[in-house]
Amino acid sequence: MHFAYPPRKSSDPPPFRPRSTRFPLLRKARLRTIGLILVAILGLVWLLSGRSQEEVYQEHVPTGEPPIVIVTVIDPRSYSASYLRSVQENRRQYAEKHGYETFIVEAQDYDTKGYQQSWAKVMAMRHALSKYPNANYIWHLDQDAFIMEPSRKVEEVVADPRVLESLMIRDHPVVPPDSIIKTFKHLKGQEAAMIISQDNDGLVADSVLLKTGDWARYVTETWMDPLYMSYNFQKAERHALEHIVQWHPTVLSKIALVPQRTMASYAHTNLGEGYREGDFVVMLKGCTVAGESSCEKESQWYWQRFRELIVQM
Amino acid sequence: MSLSRSPSPIPGGGWASPGLNINSGRTSPAHITGGPTAWESAKMRNHNVNGYPSFSTQNSGFFVRHMRKISSNLPRLGADSPYAQKDKLGRGSWEPRNMSMLGRLRSVFRRMGRKLKLRLLIATIVFICLLIFYNSPLLYYWRKSSMGGNGEKFVIILGANPGGGVMEWKGAREWAIERDSVRNKKKYTRRWGYELEIVDMSTKKRYAHEWRESWEKVDFMRTTMRKYPNAEWFWWMDLNTYIMELSFPLQEHLLHNLEDKIYRDINEWNPLNISHPFTDPYLDETALSPVGDGKADSVNLLITQDCAGFNLGSFLLRRSAWTDRLLDIWWDPVLYEQKHMEWDHKEQDALERMYESHPWVRQHTGFLPQRMINAFPPAACSDGTKKNNTRFHYNEHDHDFVVNMAGCEWGRDCWGEMYHYREFGYWLNRNPWERFKEDLVAEIWYKITGQRVKL
Repeated sequence: MHFAYPPRKSSDPPPFRPRSTRFPLLRKARLRTIGLILVAILGLVWLLSGRSQEEVYQEHVPTGEPPIVIVTVIDPRSYSASYLRSVQENRRQYAEKHGYETFIVEAQDYDTKGYQQSWAKVMAMRHALSKYPNANYIWHLDQDAFIMEPSRKVEEVVADPRVLESLMIRDHPVVPPDSIIKTFKHLKGQEAAMIISQDNDGLVADSVLLKTGDWARYVTETWMDPLYMSYNFQKAERHALEHIVQWHPTVLSKIALVPQRTMASYAHTNLGEGYREGDFVVMLKGCTVAGESSCEKESQWYWQRFRELIVQM
Repeated sequence: MSLSRSPSPIPGGGWASPGLNINSGRTSPAHITGGPTAWESAKMRNHNVNGYPSFSTQNSGFFVRHMRKISSNLPRLGADSPYAQKDKLGRGSWEPRNMSMLGRLRSVFRRMGRKLKLRLLIATIVFICLLIFYNSPLLYYWRKSSMGGNGEKFVIILGANPGGGVMEWKGAREWAIERDSVRNKKKYTRRWGYELEIVDMSTKKRYAHEWRESWEKVDFMRTTMRKYPNAEWFWWMDLNTYIMELSFPLQEHLLHNLEDKIYRDINEWNPLNISHPFTDPYLDETALSPVGDGKADSVNLLITQDCAGFNLGSFLLRRSAWTDRLLDIWWDPVLYEQKHMEWDHKEQDALERMYESHPWVRQHTGFLPQRMINAFPPAACSDGTKKNNTRFHYNEHDHDFVVNMAGCEWGRDCWGEMYHYREFGYWLNRNPWERFKEDLVAEIWYKITGQRVKL
């Protein structure tokens, strides 16, 4: 189409165009520049302030290789070689079945500075923590004890957090019968780092599960404090443990108390809960080095039974 | 047509539209107002009565744009000149020479271009913002917040009133010491946004058995950690300390490159003769190493050693599981029973013993050079020669951070020392104006007249 005249303009054009914004600084063309500058400033601020967060201390997380290390301190100077062999075989065969490790040392390897030989047990625990930093648990099992259920894993017996939570004795005097210090009410299985049981007298320091980590090192090192060793606790390391558990909440807060028969049934029922068929561990506490009730004699039946059970597996 | 200048607002209202009206904006608008065609413009006028038109006519050249400014700068005839008088009378809008300052400013402002006004406005706003920021609690909150200086991560715990309470009557000097020390810490914490916790160390029958007396430091540390759940570092200071350099933030002074500032191997300075590292065969590599794991993150206790061993007059603890354990184990009845006769310095000796016997304690302890947070006055740790020992004694040229008048209560003049360091601290922390007056003006005056003046 073609017109002779260009189309008519409006007869009353606006006198002038209204300005786009009140602030000429914020004109459209400028907005982009301003935006860019703002982004650049923000980026610069971010770059300057964005120094990487300071590394916070992280303790070593064990890989679980091996999952459990069984620590036993034997005393070849006092006990017969055949008895000690049966003790070692008991741990070794059990560990082999489940992929665990054994850490069997002689009490004389450790310098207890003239105090009771039993302090060597704590040193051995500390030694195991150094040697197996990747183990989940260190299980200190005394020489005079036998594992009686070779088919069961430590995890399913007690160490697994869910199992542990069902077993834990909460709000119970730490040292029987009436210590005012009681185990924590709301401890979670995940947080427990020392699994221990009680007999008639107190804590059973001869069968202890320790979760490897800084806390375990702290507890073992504190436990064998030279001033505790020199204090002449009547039962040496056992009373020292009861002492630190009762006086130091950072220790108590990680302790899970489990029923004695879970991992420390006694052969002598006058000292604590007696062993029954099917219990995980039997402890011959109260046996003597020699004589009628010698450990070797008392262990005969248990050792036979263990061999039968392991063959059946 | 092209206008020689942008149209001016007309008192009666309305605008001369250059497109429609052949005349310039100067023509009377009378015939436009009220007319139907002017409706739009009337509306516009109502919208911005005081507005200045935002369009400019055909981009006027340099001279046109700047003519007003140039003309306003032109020399004017003196007030006594008859021309000027006449001029002034005739055109009231021209400012007279002898106008008030305010009026002059106003006229300068009136003659300013819009762009310049805007820029000035922005500059003023920025300036005012900065002024407010640096002269109000805003700076404090900024330095305190985790976005800014992260000052809330630091708490200074000041042990006030030592030995007071039932044991000793506090005299004027003791009050003065306390007042100065507290004021000094307050000033420092205010400046950097840290927290200050003043605890009462007066002897009380706090504990039934009276055993834990003088382990209060440990208990106060614990309660303070509970009180400030966001804080990370807790700096204990005895009352007889004075922060000399208020301009040193802890973040820079201590924690920046911490691993270069501390020594972990106690053999570097070992007045207690502690055998280090451990040699027990049952320990692990980290425990046997003289420097632990060697990383700054693992240091949770920062402490100094004076001529006699550990010094707890000024030390830092970092919140951690390790610290909980340390504070928990610090006092133990069995150890206390065996050792309390030997331990003159109570919690200090207990810490030394813990360090000596527990690898887990050593692995997380770092030693700072003493003068970094705990310099002594020459009277403390002196060897009788009256000479400054570079390890212990305060040196103003090195800008030592803190002075600890340790042991001044044993036969020295606590107040005298406090006063001395207070005055010196004031001198060190003068503001630029004071520096200008005292270091420059007074010096010049002294050179000229030979007389010292106090300005």
